[in-house]
This record gives sequence, structure tokens and C-alpha cells, in this order.
Amino acid sequence: MNIRMRRPAVAVVALLATVSTSAAPELHRNFVTCPIVRDTSTVPCWLAEYKGELYFLTLQTDVSAPVNPPQLGHQVLVEGVVSNEPRICGGIVLKPVALSVLPELDNSCSTVLPAEDRYNLTFEPPRPPGPSKGRLAFAADPAAPRPVVAAEAGPRTFAIQFDFDTSILFRHAGQLQQIQEFALKSKATRIEITAYRAASLLSDDTLFTEREDIGKRRAEHVASLLKDAGLTGPTYDVRWQDAPRPDGVNDARLRRAEVTVR
Amino acid sequence: MAVDAPVLARWWSPGEGTQLPAYATYPNAWGELGILNTGGPVETKGHPFFEPIGQNGRACVSCHQPANGMSISVAAIQERWQVTKGKDPIFAAVDGMNCPDLPPDDPKSHSLLLERGLFRVFMPWPPVRDDGRPVEPEFTIEVVRDPGGCNVSPRYGLSSPTPTVSVYRRPRVVANTKYFTHQGFGVSAFVGKGPIATARDPETGRPTAMNMMADARVSTLKAQAVSAAQTHLQMAGAFDAAKLQKIVEFEGQVYSAQASHRTAGSLMEPNGPPGLGVRNVANESAGVLGNNTTQWVFPVGEVWKALPAGAAPREAERNRMRESIARGHDVFMFRTFWIKDVQHLNTVGLGNPTKRTCSTCHGMHMTGMDVANGWMDLGVTNLPWAREEPLNPWNERKPQMPLFKITCKATAPPHAYLGRVIYTQDPGRALVSGRCADVGSIVMQQFRGLAARAPYFSNGSAQTLRDLVDFYDRRFNIGYTSQEREDLINFLSAL
Repeated sequence: MNIRMRRPAVAVVALLATVSTSAAPELHRNFVTCPIVRDTSTVPCWLAEYKGELYFLTLQTDVSAPVNPPQLGHQVLVEGVVSNEPRICGGIVLKPVALSVLPELDNSCSTVLPAEDRYNLTFEPPRPPGPSKGRLAFAADPAAPRPVVAAEAGPRTFAIQFDFDTSILFRHAGQLQQIQEFALKSKATRIEITAYRAASLLSDDTLFTEREDIGKRRAEHVASLLKDAGLTGPTYDVRWQDAPRPDGVNDARLRRAEVTVR
Repeated sequence: MAVDAPVLARWWSPGEGTQLPAYATYPNAWGELGILNTGGPVETKGHPFFEPIGQNGRACVSCHQPANGMSISVAAIQERWQVTKGKDPIFAAVDGMNCPDLPPDDPKSHSLLLERGLFRVFMPWPPVRDDGRPVEPEFTIEVVRDPGGCNVSPRYGLSSPTPTVSVYRRPRVVANTKYFTHQGFGVSAFVGKGPIATARDPETGRPTAMNMMADARVSTLKAQAVSAAQTHLQMAGAFDAAKLQKIVEFEGQVYSAQASHRTAGSLMEPNGPPGLGVRNVANESAGVLGNNTTQWVFPVGEVWKALPAGAAPREAERNRMRESIARGHDVFMFRTFWIKDVQHLNTVGLGNPTKRTCSTCHGMHMTGMDVANGWMDLGVTNLPWAREEPLNPWNERKPQMPLFKITCKATAPPHAYLGRVIYTQDPGRALVSGRCADVGSIVMQQFRGLAARAPYFSNGSAQTLRDLVDFYDRRFNIGYTSQEREDLINFLSAL
């Protein structure tokens, strides 16, 4: 197996922490804060305060949720858009929203609000707080037609999105399996991995930048996992670089890796 | 019902050569356990599971006793000490003593085995992968205390010529194995926890459930048999392939579950709850997520709800107990509480805390394990939740367990809820993976045959089912009512 690892000579953008720059677009709310849990008569809501306003982030559902709840004990990077949906649990609904649990402990993040009748949900949640009714909240309907399988001949590029300052997490297992299965079926001979370190332009104009080595970690982590899963035949080209400057709109998408299977 | 006082039962000695029936029951404090061999009677004479195959006289059956649900209870261990004056092979120096360099005839040298049913598990440090490559650990490990002395022993400890970490664990259940070796729900090429590539069966190349051992260090029945033979049985040389196959075949067809309850009566009536009794365990499907109201974890149904009062006092008592068991099931399945700070549960998409139930973690149909790769840090071995002796001038009891200080490197992802400095009695999965986030994570044990094999948890810290329930009540501030607690204990005693 031939593995080349190289760092590009020129970073796309020099990313510096806490650099003041232009404001995020009006409806975007990008901020770092402690999340808040509010209990209800069914499942709890996840909320966050920013500049005196309360925002609704997500509901508790299950592992299939497209947006996973944050964590008490940790701050969360919220990157969302103010929607025109009715408030939920008292919070302005951010939708779409990306939530990144920051890795280091912050024991000041500990607020659990009790249930109040006025904040109970006005709809049935995707999943009750106990056992499900037979399938995961966001699992595909077993009766639905199966998705068309992509052509098995290469090349094909897969994008993996990351939370802020983290590498592969639990929810990437399915994506990695897709890559592995495609590589096996297409008899891949080469896998190119390029991972990015990025930043988020917060709504207070702060540039919130990922750790220096995160692009390298992501790239190497993806490569090592694919190899550990048995993809030892292909040649690996593993790279990492800094992402373009964030604009406060699509910043979460900058935290990614691209895996091209040839 | 009174606290689960031990009932001593049939001890199976290595090499005794008697037949293990196709179906047999063994008494315990809560009733009787059923052991079912779906392959028919087992001739144990010459059978490698039942014959000594190593140097210390033990067989697999030594620590996987039919009467103890194919594990071994501390009551049985204490009885063997009395009967054999400490000469039974289970007390072998290699792991039946707190450390091999202690005086062998002194019960204090065996205190962890005699008092908590714990055998020494010795792991190389730093860890070594299956392919022999070393794992670069994300943390350093220091011994804070070690009452048994093994981790500070110049011959066996961390500073010995072959650095070793000794931890102390309960033997796992060698029964109902299809449930933890399945290829169903949750088994795929990658494990979200970690994340890592799933361990594969070297014979088939297929991903495994990684649910067999407390730290998931091996994940096939063959690999486990080889590992146990080489360490616990001190077998020299290679394992004969035919013998190995015979062990695996036996383990694939033996089932264990409580068969009758001393108050509730038979758990195996044809029209009884479909999730109770050993025949139902043998017949149900493996690899099924049961945390739902279609498959259920333990299907109990409605048959034991709202029973008639009963004409005779004994029948009335039986029906009350059956109703209690049914209510206990509902406590297990539907009683919500805040599950908080559980690495590899709250971190895998559920948020922290998550308002859920026992069946969230214990979701595998028929066993209550996690459905696959079920290691989590529930707090059983990590401080501040692990059971520790209160230190004060009025308590004469001293700490029994070793205590390690784990310091995670700044470059490593920390444990999500304990950060970068962790005190633990057993680093668990982290002794295999070398990952900081895995410190204290233990693969959950199945619920079957609980009545026959106290104490509970990997470190034997719950002596009774009440202790077990109380741990969770304390850990998650559940606030069970006395009725809920009693019902839940009765339910667990019937599994």
C-alpha cells in the first residue's frame, strides 16, 4: 500500500482566532453558548439564549435525527437561520440549524428548566421519550421504494461534514460504510482524501476558528478507518488544507472532507 | 420477597464426566434456573468445555457453571473455598488471587474472588492490537492505590519488565450466545462509538457484534475460547481445532434463563409471557432492537396484568407476584428519567441529558444488552459513581478495588463528561483501545439468569438485585417509589 501525505504549500486562507470582520447576514444566528434543556410533558426541548433572545434548537428524538441535541457540560456552536415557524418551547425556531458540541468540559452548562404547561408541545413529537412504535424516528419507511443505487463504476466523490473542532463521530458510520461498499464494488484502486480546517463567522463578528491540526486529523482518521475496515488494496492520497474564508451563511459546510474513490 | 439469600446448588467439577441433560433446572434464591441444550444431552466425558485443558486443573465449566447461569456466583465460590479449603482450581494463583505473588492459602489473598466474585484480568500496557502492532494510548495511567498489590508488584505490575495492568472482573455468561454474536441490527463495518472500524471475524471477514467481553477485546466465540484457555486455564501450546470447534458448538446451543419463580410459579407456561423462560429465549430471534412496542426487549404481554385475586391464599400470592413482575416490566420499559453523562450513550446522538427509560441502553430483544458494541460508561467503575468504601474513623472496612488515575493527553478527545483527569477502578474498554473517551466503558451484560449469578456489574459492586437497582436510582436520581423498586426487582428476578 502506498500512502502519500502532504500538506499544501499555500493555505487557502490564513485563519486567525477572534478576528473581527463583517457581520453575518440578518437572519443567520451564529453563536457559542451553553445549551438549555426544557422538559415538557413529552420529550424535552433544546434551547439557547443569544443577546437576550431564546432560540429553539431541536427536540429530543433518537439516533436517526438529522440534528442531534447538544450536551449539558459543554458549550455548543449554533449556526442557524431564523425561521418563520411558530415558537417551540418558547424559543424562536432556528431552521436549518447546525449544532457542534465543543469537546472540552464546561460545567457551567447545566440548566434544566422544568416543564410548564405554556411550553408544552402543540404537536406530537417524532418519537416519545420511551420506546418507539416500531422504527426509528427518521428511518425510511420500509414500504417506500428503495433509492436508486448509484453506478458502481468510479470515480465517485463523497462529502463528509464535521462538527466544529472534531473528527469522525458516531453519525459518520453510515457514510463510511457507503464509501467502503462503493470501493469494494467498484474495485477501487485509489482513494483520495482531502480534509479541511475551517472557521465560523459568529454573529458578533468573531471569527471562531478550529484547532490548527484538525484538518490533518480528519484526513488521517478517515484513511485509517477505511484501512482498518479492510480497504487495504487501494493507494491512498491523504491531504489537508484550510477552507475558504467563512461568510456567516454556509460556514458549517466548510468543515468537511472529500473522499474520491477511483 | 427477602433479599436474595444464596441457595447452594450443583457444582460441576472439571472432568467429572457426567451427562449434562438436554434440560435441567437448578435452585436459586428466587426459584429455579433452567439450562436448555437445544442440541440434546451433552456427554461431558472428554468434552473440552468440561475437561481440564490447561495446567491449573480448570475447565471452562469451572467459571461457567450451569447452576449459576453459565457464570459463577460468589456464593458458589465461597462454598468451594469451604469445601476444598481453597484447593479448587478456581483459586489458581494466575487470576484467582488478587496477585500471583501473594500467599496462596490465605483467604485474604483471594479477597476479591471470595467477596465479590472477581477474577484478575491482566492486560498489557500499552495495549496491543490483534495484529501485534502497539496502540499509542491517549493517556497515561498511574496507580493511586492497589490493595491487592498486583499493579505495583515488581513482577506483575505496571513497572515490571512486561508492564501489565490488572483489573478485576466477573466472568461473563456463556449462554444465549446467539444474541451477542448476531449479524443483525447495529452490526456494520464501522462503530460509531470510538469511532472505529468494527472488529471482524478472521474466518468470515464479516463485522462482529463486539458484545461478548467486558472490554470487547475479542469478539468471536473461538477467539474468546483461545484467549480464556491461554490465560485463565494456563493452556500451553496451540488449541486443537476439533476441540475448539466442539467448545463453540456447545456454546452456540446452550440457553439459560429463570424457569420458575418461588412465588410467581412457572415462568414457562405455554400461555405465559412470551419473553420469559428459557425455551422462549432459545426460540426468539437474535439481532433485534427491542426498544419499541412492536418487538419489545422482554415481551411480557398482558397475560399477567389484572389477574383474579385467586381463591386460595397461595394462588392469590402467586397472582400478586405475577402482577408485580408485569408492573416491573413496565417500569423497565416506560418509566422515564434523565439519563445523564453516559459516555457512548449520551454522546451518540441522544443529547445530554436524555429523558428515556432503562430500555434505552438495555435495548436488545430478549437479553437487555445493547444491541451491538455495547460499551458505555455508566459509572460502574469510574468515580464519582463507582462504589467506594466511605473512609472515616468508624469504618473498619478498607477499599478493595485498585484505583487508577488516568491523565489524557491534551491532543486527545477527552472523556465527554469526566474531562482529562479520571479516577477509575477499571479503565475498561480503554485498556484495549487506548482512547481517553473509552475510560470506564464496559460492555453491558445480559439480564438472563440474574437470580442465579450474583453479584452484578463487571466489578461485582452490586451484591443483590436491590443493590443493582439502587445503583441506578442513585446514579440517575430516578426517585423510584418503593413499589416501583420492588416491582423492578421482581421483574429482574424472573428473567
